[in-house]
Amino acid sequence: MLRNYFKIAWRNLIKNKSYTLINIGGLAVGMAVAIVIGLWIYGELSYNKNHENYNRIAQVMQNQTVNGITETWDALPFIMSEGLRNEYGNDFKYAVQGTWESEYTLGFGNKMFIKTGSYFEPEITEILSLNMINGVRNGLKEMHSILLSQSLSEVLFGKMDPVGEILKLENKVDIKVTGVYEDFPENSSFKKLDFILPWDLYVSQDWWIKEVLESVNPWDAGGSTRTYVQMAENTIIEEVSLKIRDIITDKKSELDKTYEQEVFLHRMSKWHLYGEFKNGTSIGGGIGDVWLFGVIGLLVLLLACINFMNLSTARSEKRAKEVGIRKAIGSNRRQLISQFFIESILISTLAFLFSIFVVAFILPFFNRIADSHVVILWDNPLFWILGLAFSILTGITAGMYPALYLSSFKPVKVLKGVFKAGQSASTPRQILVVSQFTISIMLIIGTIIVYQQINYAQNRPLGYDKDGLIAVSTTEETHKNIDAIRLSLINEESIIEMSESNNLITDEWNTAGGFEWDGKDSKLVGEFHIGSVNYDYGKTIGWKIKEGRDFSREFGTDSIQLILNESAVAFMNLKDPVGKILRNPGEASSVITIVGVVEDLLIASPYEPVKPYIFANVKGRGKLSEFLIKLNPEKSVKESLGKIEAVFKTYNPSRPFEASFVDEAYAKKFGNEKRIGQLVTLLAILAIFISCLGLFGLASYMAEQRIKEIGIRKVLGASVLRLWNMLSKDFLGLVIIACAIAVPVAYYVMDGWLQKFEYRTSISWWVSVLACGGAVVVTLITVSYQGVKAAKANPIKSLKTE
Amino acid sequence: MLLEIKDLFKWVNSGGNRIFLLNDIELTINEGDFISIMGPSGSGKTTLLNVIGMLDDFNEGEYHFLDQEVHTLKEKYRAKLYKDYIGFVFQSYHLIDELTVYENIETPLLYKNYKSAERKSLVADMLDRFNIVGKKDLFPSQLSGGQQQIVGIARALISSPKLILADEPTGNLNSKQGEEIMNLFKQLNDEGVTIIQVTHSEKNATYGSRIINLLDGRIINTV
Repeated sequence: MLRNYFKIAWRNLIKNKSYTLINIGGLAVGMAVAIVIGLWIYGELSYNKNHENYNRIAQVMQNQTVNGITETWDALPFIMSEGLRNEYGNDFKYAVQGTWESEYTLGFGNKMFIKTGSYFEPEITEILSLNMINGVRNGLKEMHSILLSQSLSEVLFGKMDPVGEILKLENKVDIKVTGVYEDFPENSSFKKLDFILPWDLYVSQDWWIKEVLESVNPWDAGGSTRTYVQMAENTIIEEVSLKIRDIITDKKSELDKTYEQEVFLHRMSKWHLYGEFKNGTSIGGGIGDVWLFGVIGLLVLLLACINFMNLSTARSEKRAKEVGIRKAIGSNRRQLISQFFIESILISTLAFLFSIFVVAFILPFFNRIADSHVVILWDNPLFWILGLAFSILTGITAGMYPALYLSSFKPVKVLKGVFKAGQSASTPRQILVVSQFTISIMLIIGTIIVYQQINYAQNRPLGYDKDGLIAVSTTEETHKNIDAIRLSLINEESIIEMSESNNLITDEWNTAGGFEWDGKDSKLVGEFHIGSVNYDYGKTIGWKIKEGRDFSREFGTDSIQLILNESAVAFMNLKDPVGKILRNPGEASSVITIVGVVEDLLIASPYEPVKPYIFANVKGRGKLSEFLIKLNPEKSVKESLGKIEAVFKTYNPSRPFEASFVDEAYAKKFGNEKRIGQLVTLLAILAIFISCLGLFGLASYMAEQRIKEIGIRKVLGASVLRLWNMLSKDFLGLVIIACAIAVPVAYYVMDGWLQKFEYRTSISWWVSVLACGGAVVVTLITVSYQGVKAAKANPIKSLKTE
Repeated sequence: MLLEIKDLFKWVNSGGNRIFLLNDIELTINEGDFISIMGPSGSGKTTLLNVIGMLDDFNEGEYHFLDQEVHTLKEKYRAKLYKDYIGFVFQSYHLIDELTVYENIETPLLYKNYKSAERKSLVADMLDRFNIVGKKDLFPSQLSGGQQQIVGIARALISSPKLILADEPTGNLNSKQGEEIMNLFKQLNDEGVTIIQVTHSEKNATYGSRIINLLDGRIINTV
């Protein structure tokens, strides 16, 4: 019996090749989308799970409230980890602090490499449960030691065991390799760590930290580290988090009432997907994308299932005769139902197997645009079980209608040929087509709006000229000789201008508080972002002075001058700011004069308002860590870079020369939105493709059903155009209904999405016109092929078939 | 007695009027009969045949089949009854296009849960009997109309029914093929199978032992 069912199902598939192709192909594409997104979501949800102590690890963070605005920081005082160990030792198994990932040079023999690493207190190796390949986990006990990742060890030493070898850090300190750990996986927050250095070494190199830690109360001095903890057994992270909330305020000798600080623990399981904070509470983050793509993936899959259902039911009406015969020769209803189910499950299972190939084919492409590392879980039985369970479910859902509906017919009716899919039979199908196009149109509108928003933000005035700007990290030697380097490069005509600054212009800069000025609102806390730069900064980036003047050496090289941005002027509520004076928080005696105002520079997020910035000319290397160089646009970039490298090499012969382009760094700000845009586009295209596939199948079925009617009409003198019109009209009506549903829903959803951005585009009416017009055109093209074919056919043939 | 129909009515309501499809039918059929139902188009021949075959129901009256009261039986039991005792032959053959000759003949046995070996020997017998062994792997579309009808008859006979209901079995065939089919029926009838056929052809009607003439749903005479 079962064999008979399979046989007839198989023969039906073979016999109707185009139908089979459309059905299996469409479903396979839909399933492939669902699988890829499912795998991606799996990857996102399992982020960091490779760390053995996943559930007991947390990062210490703080909420700072100034001027009523709460911001969340992961930067903490240098004393934090020690304070936690001393005060709450029972709650934590380990508490460690460390530096953020940064690039350092490592020298071995006469080779030098720029690699990324951090300084950490020794127990970090336990918290992260490093898998040691060579050496031991507690390899950070000695001040002059280093742990290397496996890949870095291979770069430096090849296959040999490097333990005991000596490396030169930043061309200054000798450090001994004490171990090699297995690389962190791609979905670990620590994947960038090529090496780990001991915290003690960091302290020994920086007099300021030493001073802070040795001061009367280090809690007052603050500092900036990141701090991680591993909880002791039998503790609840949330409880401990509340317990330590006021540790900073409690420990400080003097309380600054304008400035609230609350410490909390952010558990590892939330780092990746719930990493964004607003007003001191987690507002999600990556989880938003997980939801977004989860929903879209399901929708695309739903489209494919709808197709499958639609085509199955359309086809099955053709098979009503078979149902009649089977009933007449003794089949009961149950047997017919199982026959139809087996057929649809066979198709969906085939589609699943086929979709695996599609997934293997599109994964590299997906990984590139999604910047992800999704892999097929070939060896995970759960993957296969879920996949098969899913195909059976799809098969049953799709087979439901034909199985239950057709099997209910009286054989006499079908055998007599009276059986006709009446108006009522096609209603569910019409609803399915409408929902399909609703989803497609929504995706089109979504895609257009995402790109509009990106475009809008990209066209936002920058306040500086990013073209031909490159950044190079300073070293002691090059910093000392900036004037000589600058002059020789300008004389060579390879650059226009060159300057130094504390930060990359594309990263948000540090803040400092406590500034005072005449006429300041007493409730306002004078906190600003500080742009530490040198004289030629403005000329290098080409900022626009609105009032006053730029920094200038002519006004005495030793005095500090200030330039505000427009937002700072607004924040301070100053009229005629030029010439006004700002008092420094630390030393009340020191006053600095505002010499100019610049147009707002877009430094941080292109979607948010520009923050108040103060630019000050400073000198020390501690404050000036980046060179910014404006290339000569008349020279080729390659030639100029070569010359710049040559000059830098004369001061740092062994250090590799690395320059980054500001416009590339700027483009990265749109990385996430661009990624979303590209993915949504891809999904929208697939959705439309699947919908059209279904429409095509349905149109050909309808044309076939009405072949006799078309024949009669033709004999009576209908033109091809009129017949085409008649056949296309129905579908067009459905698409128009879909438009009416999709447009408001899409507007609502996208309006919600746009709320995320403070600097956002408005939704214009033409978006929906474009999307709906596109859907109508695509529908007409799809339907017309079948319509014209049917209309042009010779009526004698179609009438003879009866 | 194989079946007996008493005071049977079947009607449809159309715009306030009751139109009788079958009107006061009285009919008794004994085992071994070969009955021809005749009458002009729309006289209710096929409807009567379908009622006898339990594929269609009726509004009033009694129908006894082998001492079972069909009019009181539930759908499920009715289906079982006709599955066991009745074979159908159709004017347009109604073979399943996707199945081969062999499989078409085999299908009723599948529905009656015969074992594989049994099915094989029964189908082989049937192929032998109708001389179509060489055609067993062909699909219906590869056969002539006459051959298709032979397959249709073989399929109707495979579960050894007591009664064969044939709705214009030669309607789509040329005269030579028609004659072959009628001879086949005659032969089956001689072997003891009861046959009821609907036909338009006087000539075909003469193969039977009795002719029932219908007009407007009423039996006007029995010859």
